[in-house]
Formats: sequence, C-alpha cells, structure tokens
Amino acid sequence: MKESVIAILVLLPSVLLVGYFVYASIGWNVVVSLSNWEGLQPSYSIVGFRRYADLLYDSVFWISLKNNLLLILLFVPSSILLGLFLAILLDVKVRAEGVFRTVYLLPFALSFVIIASLWAWMYDPEVGVLNILLENVGLGFLKSGWVTDSSIAMYCVILALTWQFSGYTMLVFLAGLRSIPESQVMAAEVDGAYGFSLYRRIMIPQLKSSVLAVFVILMVFALKGFDFIYILTGGGPGYSTFVLPLEMFRETFSMTHFAYGAAIATVLFVIVMLIVVPYLYMSSRRREE
Amino acid sequence: MSKGHHGAIKTVYALILAVIITGAIVGVATWYFTRPAKANVLEIYHWWTSGGEKAAITALVGVYESKYPDVGVIQSPVSGGAGYVMKALMKSLVLAGEAPDAFQLHAGYEMKPYVDGGYLDPINDLWSGQGWETVFPTVVKDMVKFGGNYYAVPVNIHRVNVVWYNKAVLDAHGISANITTWDAFFAACDKLVAEGMPKPIALGDQGKWAATHVLEQIIASEGIGFYQDFINGKVTSATNTTLRDALTKFSKYLSYVNDNHAALTWDGATALVINGKAAFNIMGDWANGEFLVANKVYGVDYGTFAVPGTEKMYGLCIDCFEHPKGVKHPENSLNWLQVVGSKEGQDAFNPLKGSISARTDADTTKYGPYQQAAIADFKKVTYMYPSVVHGSGMPEAFTAKLDDIMSAFVDNKDVSAAATSLTKAVTDASADFTKVWTLH
Repeated sequence: MKESVIAILVLLPSVLLVGYFVYASIGWNVVVSLSNWEGLQPSYSIVGFRRYADLLYDSVFWISLKNNLLLILLFVPSSILLGLFLAILLDVKVRAEGVFRTVYLLPFALSFVIIASLWAWMYDPEVGVLNILLENVGLGFLKSGWVTDSSIAMYCVILALTWQFSGYTMLVFLAGLRSIPESQVMAAEVDGAYGFSLYRRIMIPQLKSSVLAVFVILMVFALKGFDFIYILTGGGPGYSTFVLPLEMFRETFSMTHFAYGAAIATVLFVIVMLIVVPYLYMSSRRREE
Repeated sequence: MSKGHHGAIKTVYALILAVIITGAIVGVATWYFTRPAKANVLEIYHWWTSGGEKAAITALVGVYESKYPDVGVIQSPVSGGAGYVMKALMKSLVLAGEAPDAFQLHAGYEMKPYVDGGYLDPINDLWSGQGWETVFPTVVKDMVKFGGNYYAVPVNIHRVNVVWYNKAVLDAHGISANITTWDAFFAACDKLVAEGMPKPIALGDQGKWAATHVLEQIIASEGIGFYQDFINGKVTSATNTTLRDALTKFSKYLSYVNDNHAALTWDGATALVINGKAAFNIMGDWANGEFLVANKVYGVDYGTFAVPGTEKMYGLCIDCFEHPKGVKHPENSLNWLQVVGSKEGQDAFNPLKGSISARTDADTTKYGPYQQAAIADFKKVTYMYPSVVHGSGMPEAFTAKLDDIMSAFVDNKDVSAAATSLTKAVTDASADFTKVWTLH
C-alpha cells in the first residue's frame, strides 16, 4: 500500500501537467476547430464542421496533404533502407568504425535549421556546391534549379531530409544488429549462410522491432516536420513544397484564421494517431507475449 | 481487514497531500508569472536587430531616456526580417494578455486584427494634443486610423518604389538614368544584354516577398486610380486588362533577372548591383544601408530613380507603435508614443534607420544624401500609396496568399493563372476589405 501511495504522489504532478498541457490542449484545439473563432478575439460558439468542409475545397490543403504523403512514401523508406545499408556496412567490422559512425550520425546531431540552411546553400543554382561540382566533373548537363524548380523542389527536400535522418536510422539498426547473439550468427555460418544471405535470412528478420520504432518516428516527422521545410523553401516555389504544418501556421498566424488552423491541426492529429495507435497496440501485444 | 482500511485512509491522505503540493506548485508558478510588475519600466518589442536598425532604435530610446531618466527601458528585439517571426509571436502574447507597453507594427491592415479584437486603445487625445494632425500627410494618417480613431503613431517612412542602379555600369554602356517609362527601362535592359550583361536586373526573392514587391510597384505604375481599385478589393475579374498588363510586364521583367533569384535574399540582390554584376534592382529604400556599408557614395557609385511610371508617387512602408489595452505601464507607454511621434525622436531615429521622417517638418540637415533626395521627393509627389507587401494596403488574409501566388508566377509565368488566383484571393477575402483608401 505504501508503495502505491508513493507512486501516486510521484506521478500526480506530471499526470496533471501532461493532462493539462497535452490532452486538454488537444481537446481545446478540437473545440476551437469547431468554433467560429476568426481574428484575434477568442470566440467559442460552436458552428460545427464548417471548417472541415472548407478544407475539402482548399486546393492548398490538398497540395500540402499530397506533399505529406510524398514524404511518407519516399522519405520514410529511403531513410530506412539507407540507414540499414550503412549499418550493415559498419557491422562487417570495418577499420575506424567509430569515425564512420560519428560521420554518419553528425547530420542528425545538428538542428534542422542549420541543416536546412546548409542545403539551401548547396542547392543554390549559381553559387551552390552541387551545380559547381557537376560542372567541374563534366556533368554540366545535370545542372538544375534544385529547390528553386517547382517540378523537383519537393524531391530535393526529401533528399536533404533523408541525408539528415539516415545516420540516425543507421545507429538504431547497428545497435539492433549488435544485439543479435554471436552464437546465432556462428551457427548460421556453420550451416553455410554467408554474406548477403546471412543478413537476409538471419540478421534483418531480427531487426523487426528496430524497423518498427524507426518507422513510426520517421512517419511522425514526415507529418509534423515544419522547421526544415520552412527554412529550406518556405513552401515555395509557389505551393510546391507546402506541407500541412506550414499551411496550419500560415492560416493561424499570418491570416489569423484560428478555427481554420485548428481544423488543420486536428486533421494532422488524426493522421498521426492512425499511425501511432497501431504501433502502440503492436508493441504492447509483443510485450505481453 | 483493518490493515487494508488503514491503507485506504493513508491513500486518501496521500492523495490530498499530492493535490495540495501540485496546487501549491501551480499556484506559485502562476502567481510568479502573472504578478504585477512593480518596477518603473517601459517594455517595447521590435524586429530591428541588424546593425543600422539597432543603432536607430537605440537613438530613439536615447531620446526617451533623456526625457524620462527614471524609467528603465526594456527592449525585446525579435530577429527575423520584416518581422515575420515577431508577428506570430506578438499575436500569441496579445492573445495571452501579455502585450508589452508598445510594439512595432506595420501601419494599415497589419493593425486590423488587433483593432478588431479590441486589443488597442484609441489615442485621439495624444494626436490632437501633440498637434500631429497638421504635420503628417493625409494618407499616412489614414494608415493608422480605423473607424475614425487613431490607433498608432508612425515612426518612419520607407519608400518602396525605387530602382537602384550601378552608375559605373550605366556609364560604361552609355545609358542615361533618366528612365520614366517601362519601354525605356526594358530598352536599357536590352542594350545591356546585347553588350554582354545577360541578366541586368537583380532579384532576390528567397522568402518570396521580394518578387511581390516588384509586382506591387508595377501595379502602381499602371496609375494611382488602378492601384486604389486594387487595394480596395475592386479588381475581381481575371480578365481585367490592366491587371493582365501588369502581370505581362512583370513576366518581361523576370526574363532579365538572375537565374538564382529564388535562392538569393533581397540584400544578396542588392549586392549584385553593388558589385556591378547587375545594373538594376527594385527594392525599398532600406537597400540604401547596403550601399553605405559597402562604402559606396550616392550619386557617385550608385543612384536611384522612381520605378517607371511612378515618378509622381511615393510608395509607403511605415512602421508604427501603438498603445495596447491594459498595459502594465500605461503612462510610460503614452510617453513613449509621444517621443516616437515627435520631431526630435523621428530625426534621431530615421537618419540611422535609412528611412525618412513620417512628418513633413523633418530637419533635412541630419540626413544623408540619398535621404535628402527622398525627403525632397516626399514633399514634391502628387500621390502616396500604402504598400501591400509590407502589411499596409490590403487585408492579411489576402496578403498571405499573394506571396505564394506570385512565387508560383515567378516560376511558371502564367498570366492567366496568376490573374485568376489573384482575383479569387481578393474575392475570398472580400469581407476583410473594411478600409476604403482614397489616394487621389
């Protein structure tokens, strides 16, 4: 009994604070999205799902949603695959592994703002290192406007994001690979599994929980990432790199459409929940097993 | 059994204790952050963080401090060009009831959400008491007035319809800077292209607004009547020939700009003119500071002329301060506004800021050569117009979309698509067009 009393005592402040600042705020956001709050003066009279209906006719909303889906479809798998590839390369006991590990992880240690500014410079069509490099190695015909070209800007964003995140996924996968008991690997080798087939049949299947964890983190970032894109392209050219968080910020703070911004936030929240809840369910089931 | 009962009582006690402790923590924290400040201070927010800007606001604060030495001034600068960071921050602060004693805003529609929300107090008494009615031009006064009441004090005026040119480049190609029509301007560009400068116009529209800034001046060049219709939300047809003409001119303009414009900031574009890599750049007169920092002399190394077709106009970008409702130090706030609007305050601030005084009685001897020319123009022009890009002329629900529409146009140069999007954005925001501008 005494232990449970202490447990309650210890938990209560954080439960109350999280309850208020996270869950009550989410509830409040939903209320705002149903209200007629326009302008800076709060107004909570409920007008129903009008804002959500408006969203259906908002072309910028659809472009943003499409770009978020593009992030999920391209950025998430490419970060996972690249991270896995790098982890396997490091796992074969290369010399100076520590150095490589640090080099790969470094991008993730820097803030999004710094990385986005860095890539903005590299992508500069005239003085950026990418075009100059291509020119100098005789591949001048590959020179491009990069983020300033609306037809490929979103892919440039995805490339830069993948670069930043693959070091992190590499680290998670490397830890996963290293946690596989040596005896299993040796047994597999005795059975004739080497190189590629060793990884394909023995190692990678055991990374399931790492992949799942990384998958959820990347998915959530793909949906809520704001700062990186805000700095790198600001959503441009035109609306070509708009994502939902950017649209939410613009509607709320640039146009003072609080109810509308809250509706976008609620949509984002629902999509994130669609991803996170199955993960929580799966991982809790695994723990029970 | 009794042990369990005892345990339950203990649990209840523990719960009560926990509630008390949590309540105490939250209570103390709430009290700490909301307690009335006792110190005699003046807290102001602004986004003037670069070298010259910082010097300018420091000079203005200096005037205040010399008059009110017992008041401590707390400056809270928020970096981010044109205040794009501070605008979002300030809305959160005001909404939370934490408005500072005064904060920087662009005059005109940027003030509207605050006025509509009842967050600003009218300052008509201050205006009449200080005799400001007679020293500020009519359009400038209109920009800080809502529903017949004054809500702010303008601190400066930046001119937006300025073409900056590199004198050495024009001289080398035998081009006169006496350019007053778009035909003459494009002819000069063609000459430069033919003589080996493929991209004679500098543009730096990373952040999007610099492109919109150019379009705004082209719209003004279509005539003050059209500009007035445009900002009053009357241009709602995508087939409007004047609007399409403006977009077509802008499209032609874009064919002369540097390829990396979307990766360049406005000051990077100014640098292209300073270094002679481009001949022209349309930018507000905050660009003058860039030339000064590069040790260039006005009239010798560089020069300016009004955007073709706008010689008789002065496009206004105005910063102002206001008196938020329920501020912690109302008297200090009003005294600050008095200094902001005073001749002395404006003549301390503007020479360093690179802008001119919003008053018509500025002491010109305190200003640099470019500014003296600007002041002369300011007194001479027939029309003044509020900038849209810089928050004044049109509602923010429209302006926020305008930048994205123009960014798309810069990319695809589709006149019909841009005209359709622009007029649709005007129609969508029609309920917000509450000000009726009279510019001529």
